[in-house]
Amino acid sequence: MLQPSLELYGESFEKVDALLDDLLAKSHAQYVLIVDLKGFVIAHNKALWAPKPPSLDSLATLIASNYSANLAIAKLFGETGFKEMIQQGDRVGMYVEELDDTALLVTLFDTTAALGRVKMFTKKAVTEIQTILSESKGEAPTMNFDENWQNSTRALIDGLFGPSK
Amino acid sequence: MSTINFSAREINFKIVYYGCGMSGKTTNLKKIYESIPGTAKGELVSLATEDERTLFFDFLPLDLGQVNGFKTRFHLYTVPGQVFYNSSRKLILRGVDGIVFVADSAPNRLRANAESLRNLRDNLSEYGLSMDEIPYVVQVNKRDLPDALPSEMIQQVLDPSGKIQFFDAVAAKYIGVTEPLKAVSQLVLEHLAQKA
Repeated sequence: MLQPSLELYGESFEKVDALLDDLLAKSHAQYVLIVDLKGFVIAHNKALWAPKPPSLDSLATLIASNYSANLAIAKLFGETGFKEMIQQGDRVGMYVEELDDTALLVTLFDTTAALGRVKMFTKKAVTEIQTILSESKGEAPTMNFDENWQNSTRALIDGLFGPSK
Repeated sequence: MSTINFSAREINFKIVYYGCGMSGKTTNLKKIYESIPGTAKGELVSLATEDERTLFFDFLPLDLGQVNGFKTRFHLYTVPGQVFYNSSRKLILRGVDGIVFVADSAPNRLRANAESLRNLRDNLSEYGLSMDEIPYVVQVNKRDLPDALPSEMIQQVLDPSGKIQFFDAVAAKYIGVTEPLKAVSQLVLEHLAQKA
């Protein structure tokens, strides 16, 4: 089955994109990402002054897996989950908040940003994004996975791995 | 379930390599990583122990290219094979679209293969899925072992009904590595076309 990654299309995506920019500016963070729990990047923005981020695919996969592992640990103790997920290194920190039961909002920041400020604006952004998502239900566009699409995708697979014998 | 991202114009598929410990799941990913051109692959991420046993997972993203303006991407994962890492295996199966089950040809691993397949079935059921709903193929690895069991015997144990595609392989020599991945990819596409 095809599963849309959050209800983020057209106008709602534009609104969320603007919110992510706002979050970057107000929190002084370097990067913000929306990551789904399967490990895919749904949306991401970067501060103009921030260096090129590491591979977003790797980042999203590791964050989603880390979140799932923490959730599993919490459940071992009869908790429904841990309230906060914060990682802090000497130069970089990461703050993760749940958007809903399928996606996370991730804020990555360096030593120029205060953790309290990052937390406050990330939590505020979560609430605003949740409102946008709840208002946009049912807008999902449709996509046709017809024979042409299948054949073209098969050709790409052949192109990558060589034709079938 | 495949994930479509309309804003980034991407369709993402998750393929998981499953199987008992030391059957060659990580070797498959390493060989794919070595053979794919640079522009089509991302970083190979391995969360392994000091003795190179998979602790959590290995991860390799592949970019197939664009169809109808949408990037088509496959994310390949392995799970840790050792019995006691079941919590990690379960987590990696979340959102899986297709599975390559890697079986070991060694005679003393026949039972481990069967137990791993049963474990896969149990873990899928925790996500409300059955083996009939998820496209999967079997790679029978290490065919170069001097005492390798006949493929037919392994097939009889893992798929007595004969419905599943089996592929002989020596993953360490990059033999039979791409075939099962291509086969499961095709099954995933057909599955998506039927369900979408």
